[in-house]
Amino acid sequence: MANPLAMLTMTAIKMYVRNIQVIFFNLFFPVMIVVIFGLIIGNGNATMNIGVVDQAQNPVSQTVLDQLRQVKAVRLYTGSLESERAALEKGDRDAVVVLPPSLGQSPVALSAYYNAGKPQESSAALAIMNRFVDEASFRYAQIQPSFTLTAQPVHSRNLSYIDFLVPGVIAMSIMQTGLFSVAFSFVAFKQLGILRRLMATPMRVPDFLLSRIVTYLMMAVVQMAILIALGLLLYHLHFVGNPVYLIIVGFIGAAIFMAIGFTISGFAKDEGAVAAIANLVSFPMMFLAGVFFSLSNEPAWLQPITKLLPLTFLADALRSISLDGANLWAVRGDLLGLAVWLVITLVMAIRLFKWEVV
Amino acid sequence: MSELLRLPARGGARAPFDCALRLRSNTDSGDNVSGMSVVTRPEESGLSTHSQGFAIVVDGLRKRYGSLVAVDGISFRVKEREIFGLLGPNGAGKTTTVEILEGLRKADAGRAIVAGVDVTNDPQRVKSLIGVQLQASAFFDYLTLVELIDMFAALYGRQVDAPAILRRVDLEEKAKSRVKTLSGGQKQRFSIATALVNEPRVLFLDEPTTGLDPQARRNLWELAQSIQKDGRTIVLTTHYMDEAETLCDRVAVIDHGKIIAMDSPITLIDQLLARGFRRRRVEREANLEDVFLDLTGHELREA
Repeated sequence: MANPLAMLTMTAIKMYVRNIQVIFFNLFFPVMIVVIFGLIIGNGNATMNIGVVDQAQNPVSQTVLDQLRQVKAVRLYTGSLESERAALEKGDRDAVVVLPPSLGQSPVALSAYYNAGKPQESSAALAIMNRFVDEASFRYAQIQPSFTLTAQPVHSRNLSYIDFLVPGVIAMSIMQTGLFSVAFSFVAFKQLGILRRLMATPMRVPDFLLSRIVTYLMMAVVQMAILIALGLLLYHLHFVGNPVYLIIVGFIGAAIFMAIGFTISGFAKDEGAVAAIANLVSFPMMFLAGVFFSLSNEPAWLQPITKLLPLTFLADALRSISLDGANLWAVRGDLLGLAVWLVITLVMAIRLFKWEVV
Repeated sequence: MSELLRLPARGGARAPFDCALRLRSNTDSGDNVSGMSVVTRPEESGLSTHSQGFAIVVDGLRKRYGSLVAVDGISFRVKEREIFGLLGPNGAGKTTTVEILEGLRKADAGRAIVAGVDVTNDPQRVKSLIGVQLQASAFFDYLTLVELIDMFAALYGRQVDAPAILRRVDLEEKAKSRVKTLSGGQKQRFSIATALVNEPRVLFLDEPTTGLDPQARRNLWELAQSIQKDGRTIVLTTHYMDEAETLCDRVAVIDHGKIIAMDSPITLIDQLLARGFRRRRVEREANLEDVFLDLTGHELREA
C-alpha cells in the first residue's frame, strides 16, 4: 500500500484498536453506563411511582393521566399537593408532578418534586411526564411543546428510561471520542516529536489530519451500532430510526467535538492540561445536555443555556431519529443548532490549532 | 544506489559525467517530471552550476528568532559520499542549520542546495531525497517496527521490503516488537532505518549516540560507515569529539551562528599543534574507554 492517505488511515485505525485505554473509554465505558443504568432502572418492567397533582382538571390533564395509566412502567397516583408531597418524602413516590391550572392554555413549566435518593427513577419519571404533557398540550390546544425533544407526536407506546438513555449515551460517547482522542493524541504527537519526524518526510499535512478524522468518524459509527445493538438485545430498545440519518447527525456531532479537540490541542501544553480542559468542557455538558436525565430537572434559569449546548442538539436529534423515526427535516431545529456550532468550532480550530511544534 | 554515484565526483567534474549522474538520480527517485526540473535548474542559477559533485551547497544562510541571530551567514559544501560533522556548543546554531537543510525551517536569507534541489524553492522534493534521524524523535506507539517502516515508506509513495531494511540495522528479530520495548541503541538504529526507506542521497544524523553505552556507540559508528559505503552522504551533528574524529571526513565548527573552522579532523588537530598547543599531561597509549571495552567486551548489550 503505497498510498500515503490509505496507509495513514490504516495505521491510525490499528493504533486506535490496540489502545486499551481508548477502547475502554470510548466503547466499554458507554456500554457499561447503558448496562448498569438499565439494570438499576429497568427496561419498563420496573415501575416508577408517579404522583400527579391535577390542578388543571381539563381535557389536557385527563389525557395525560389516561395515557400514564396505560404505561406499564408507571404506577400512577393522584392527590393533593400536600398528600403527594408527604408520600414523596416517605419514599413512596419517585416523582410528583403538578399540572398547573393553565395547562393546555399556554406553554407551561411543570413544577416537579422528585426523590433525591432515587435520581435515576425520578428523572426517568419526569422525562416520561414531559413527553405526555407536551403531546397532550399539543394535541388539544395546539400549544407548541416546550422542548424540541418532544416535538414529535408520541403515539401510545411504552417508553422506557433506556429509550431515553441510549441516544443520550451515543451522543456522549461521540463527544468523548472526538474531544479526547483528538486532543490527547495530537498533544502527545507534538510533545514526543512524532509530528516533527513526520514533517521531515514529504507527507502532506491534510493527509495526516484526514486519516485521523476518518478513523474517529468510523469509531462514531461503531459506537452507535454497539450501543443500539446492546439496547435492542438487552432492553428491548424502542428503535425505529433510519441508520443513515443517525450516521449523518452523528458525523456532524463528531466533527464539532473533533474541532474542539483540535482547538484544545492547539494551546494545551501537555496531556495533563488536555485532561483538565477536555473534562472541563465535557463533564458539565454531559449533565447539562440531558444525556442521563431530562432537561426539565434543571433549574429554569439554566435551561436556556443548556438548550443551546452542542451536546443537547446532538442528543435531541439522535433521540428524535431513533425513538420517533424522525427524518432530517423533522430535526432541522437541532441540525441548525449543530450547524452553527460546527461553524463556530471550525473557526476556533483553524485559528488555534497549531501543526508546528515550535 | 547506482554504481555511477559511487564514482568519486569530487572537484570540477566534467559536464557529460555530471549529466549522467543527475539523470541517474532522477530515475532513482522515479519522478521524471520533477526530475527534469533538477536537470534544468543549474542553468537557472549561478550557484547550482557549482553544486555538482556536492551533496550539499550552503551559501550565506541566515536565520534569526526575534533578536537572536541563530544562523549568521553560514556557507559550506558537503561532498558526495562524505561524512560531514557539524560541531558546536549548545545553541551555536547547528540544529537550526540542519533543520533548514531538511526543509523543516525557512531561512531568512541565503541559499541551500540539498541533493541538487534548492530547499527554499522545493522543500517537499528535498524531503523526498533525504533521510532524517532527529534528535530524540519518537514514533507512534501501538505499531510494530515493520508497520512503522511500511508507513514511512508509504509517505514517500514507496513499498519496501521492511524486514530487509530492519536487517540492515540489525533489528530483524525485533520486527514484530514495538518501539518502546527497544533499548537506546536499538531505538537509534530503528530511527536510522526509518530514514533509509527512501534510499536517501543524504542522511542527516542529529546526535545519534547521545545516551548510548560505549558498545552501542561503536555499533552505531559501524552502521554509519556502512551507510557511507553504500554511497550515501551523511551530515552528523554530535557533541562527542572522539565520534567526529572517528567518523567524519571533514567537520565544521559552529559558534554564535558562524562557522569558525572547517577542515578534516586531522588537519584541524595539526593546525592546533602548529600554534604551539600542548596538553598539560601527555596522554597514555590507552584511555579509560579502552579499559572499559577491554573489560566488558565489544559485544552489544541489548535484550
